[in-house]
Amino acid sequence: MTNKIILTYAVYLPVAFALTLYVARTLFRNGRVFMLDIFKGKTDIADATNTLFETGFYLLNIGFALRIMEVEGYWSENPFDTNQEVVETLASKLGGFAIYLGVMLFLNLFLFFRGRKKARAAQFGNTAVPLVTAPTH
Amino acid sequence: MNLNLLSYLLFFPAMLAIAVYVAQVCHRHGRIWMLRIFHDDAAFVDAVNNILLVGCYVVNLGYIALCVAHWEPIAGVDEMIGALRTRIATILFTLAALHYQNIAVLLIWSRIVHRRTLNTQQP
Repeated sequence: MTNKIILTYAVYLPVAFALTLYVARTLFRNGRVFMLDIFKGKTDIADATNTLFETGFYLLNIGFALRIMEVEGYWSENPFDTNQEVVETLASKLGGFAIYLGVMLFLNLFLFFRGRKKARAAQFGNTAVPLVTAPTH
Repeated sequence: MNLNLLSYLLFFPAMLAIAVYVAQVCHRHGRIWMLRIFHDDAAFVDAVNNILLVGCYVVNLGYIALCVAHWEPIAGVDEMIGALRTRIATILFTLAALHYQNIAVLLIWSRIVHRRTLNTQQP
């Protein structure tokens, strides 16, 4: 391919989408456990909420991937025309995107933990949550 | 072939392999600690552990990819080895720091939970 900018886009888009898909699928397949905890075992509402959040995650992250996609070099002094520039640009864009995805993943995990803690507190009363049952004797 | 490109091609897969290996070691051996922290709730622990594994992959690979940018122009093999050496050392130190931080969090958390359990069990 002669046009290096198009080559960059052609590599960037599939990798970014695949990365988003992988992270979102793992997060929400395992997030079901948290949702079941939060909604006290009501499967239908837990699955529904999980799917809604998953869609939101896709929209947000693919939107961000498209926002940062643009490669500058059409009219600049040094045109974007070597393979080295392609690799460097791809690495910095995809690396930044991967770290952003990681931050979003940990944010989601934090929210899951928070929701679970609140649900448990509501279930056991507002005092400190007993993690183990005290022996009765 | 451009030597810069060649060193990227050497650097990235090698660091990728190390990061994936470290993440898998943490995943495999961190599980027993998390079981201790979350009172043997295996389904919950596995869910958290899998999410943490993916987070570890994504952040480490992102950091490694960010390091593949704006290297000084490399003229010969000796310069290539020098450039690679510096970057590899940086990545390995970062991985080590994250790893020890991981161990510290697990240790401290499990100690807190253990102490709370003892307090609850006392009359």
